[in-house]
Amino acid sequence: MDVAEILKSLTDAFPEAISEATAESEIRAGSYVDKDKVKKVCQYLKDSLQFDHLCSVCGVDYIKRNELEVVYHIASYNHPVVLTLKARLPRENPEIESIVSVYWNANWYERETYELFGILFENHPNLKSLVLPEDMLGEWPLRKDYEGFPNKTARNLV
Amino acid sequence: MEEQLEPNEMIVHLGPQHPMQPGPFRLNLRLKGETVMDADIELGFIHKGIEKILENKTYLQGITIVDRICYLVALVNEECFVGCTEKLLGIKPPERSQYIRVILDELTRIQSHLLGMGEFGEFIGFVSMFMYAIREREEVLGLIDMVTGARVTHSYLKFGGVRDDLPDGFKEKALSVFNNLKKSVDDFEEMFHTDRIFRERTVGVGVLTADAAKNLGVSGPVLRATGVPFDIRKNEPYLVYKDLDFKVCTETAGDCFARVQVRINEIRESIYILEQCLDQIPGGPLFPEGTMYGRRTPVMRVPAGEVFHRVEDPRGEMGMYMISDGSDKPYRVKIRGPYYPTLQALPPLIIGTTVADVAAISGSMDGCTSEADR
Repeated sequence: MDVAEILKSLTDAFPEAISEATAESEIRAGSYVDKDKVKKVCQYLKDSLQFDHLCSVCGVDYIKRNELEVVYHIASYNHPVVLTLKARLPRENPEIESIVSVYWNANWYERETYELFGILFENHPNLKSLVLPEDMLGEWPLRKDYEGFPNKTARNLV
Repeated sequence: MEEQLEPNEMIVHLGPQHPMQPGPFRLNLRLKGETVMDADIELGFIHKGIEKILENKTYLQGITIVDRICYLVALVNEECFVGCTEKLLGIKPPERSQYIRVILDELTRIQSHLLGMGEFGEFIGFVSMFMYAIREREEVLGLIDMVTGARVTHSYLKFGGVRDDLPDGFKEKALSVFNNLKKSVDDFEEMFHTDRIFRERTVGVGVLTADAAKNLGVSGPVLRATGVPFDIRKNEPYLVYKDLDFKVCTETAGDCFARVQVRINEIRESIYILEQCLDQIPGGPLFPEGTMYGRRTPVMRVPAGEVFHRVEDPRGEMGMYMISDGSDKPYRVKIRGPYYPTLQALPPLIIGTTVADVAAISGSMDGCTSEADR
């Protein structure tokens, strides 16, 4: 299955939810997805286009545009194409659907994105902090305007 | 977990410090007698914040930081980070550098698998296995030391090439090490196949089917032991892997024994790749000619863009997603380690087994918590 075919099938199935679909190379494709349709698009990718392997879910903070992005890298065990799906969210109260019911291993990735960026995943089975201590929840350390944990970083001790 | 406790049940915390673990994480087990009823994992005891650190370091400094994701496979982490940056820069290292990188990646794979096998033996009470494996691993580390000048954290790869050429006499030394290693690997295999206790502890324990493994999102030897031939070196060849002859090692049983068998076969396959590399390696420069790469430059700016690059780590699929905004530091780096999904798949695998098998199953995953936490 090649990239053009995949992108065509995806845009035909979701003409409104998928935008800016581009093929970066023979094995890489990217597109933006409407944040309300993420789960449906992922279900379609898994069922119809053999994208059965979720590589990662991560957040990116674009502070100049006042936006957060959730980036899904979805690959397959059968073909080498990796699809980069991005969803734009506002920086205030970012919320998006959880895809754990589609890809089981999204669980930890979403928990990590939640504690590092403050992106709330709706219908996540167990949304709590994973790698950070619980009292750091609400700091969102990977956002660009993070300035150190109050009174607990070396800078504040000196 | 406490609330659902029934009569005759208890909770046992394995870790964060426990001899059976490859690093600190806490495994909470709800037990009924010897049987595991429920399990859950707490992470974060060695969270280093590497993704945040990388945003505040230049690309060249970043190479040193990614070494520390997991010291066992430092060169593969470097390969992934440098590969990302090279894709953004639009350069390709010359063939000699690519061969040297393949040599180092495969040496890393061998030593990581040897340590994984040794630790696995130790976890199930076969402590001599650790001694046997660590002795062979030391020889392989000696080879890496000869090239890079360090045993574990190397900072050896550079954008567009490698720091130094192979030293004199490397080929002869390497071939003699491989000769001994082949014999030892045969010995290990015979030991695993004939030892009755080892077989009873591993055959049919922690069975993962191909569909379940795909559903859980695992990769590497754990997935290949179930019969899925998924290997980034074949699926999406990087460096000179497409010119080299090797096969993807698979087993069908999907139990702990099959995982160890896959690692043994992969050590043999890596030696085969290394022998080809040592024969075929061409001469020539280490850095692309007519460029600034390889020289001392004050600032290196990387063109704006983003890239997702995958390499095959000894434990599975290692990927990095790098965004550059045109400055001298990466805007965002997401590290997708192979052990993170594998560790996540541990609780469903151990529910229903006995406590003694928890060590065997967890050990057969060949983990590195440092990389899962980052």
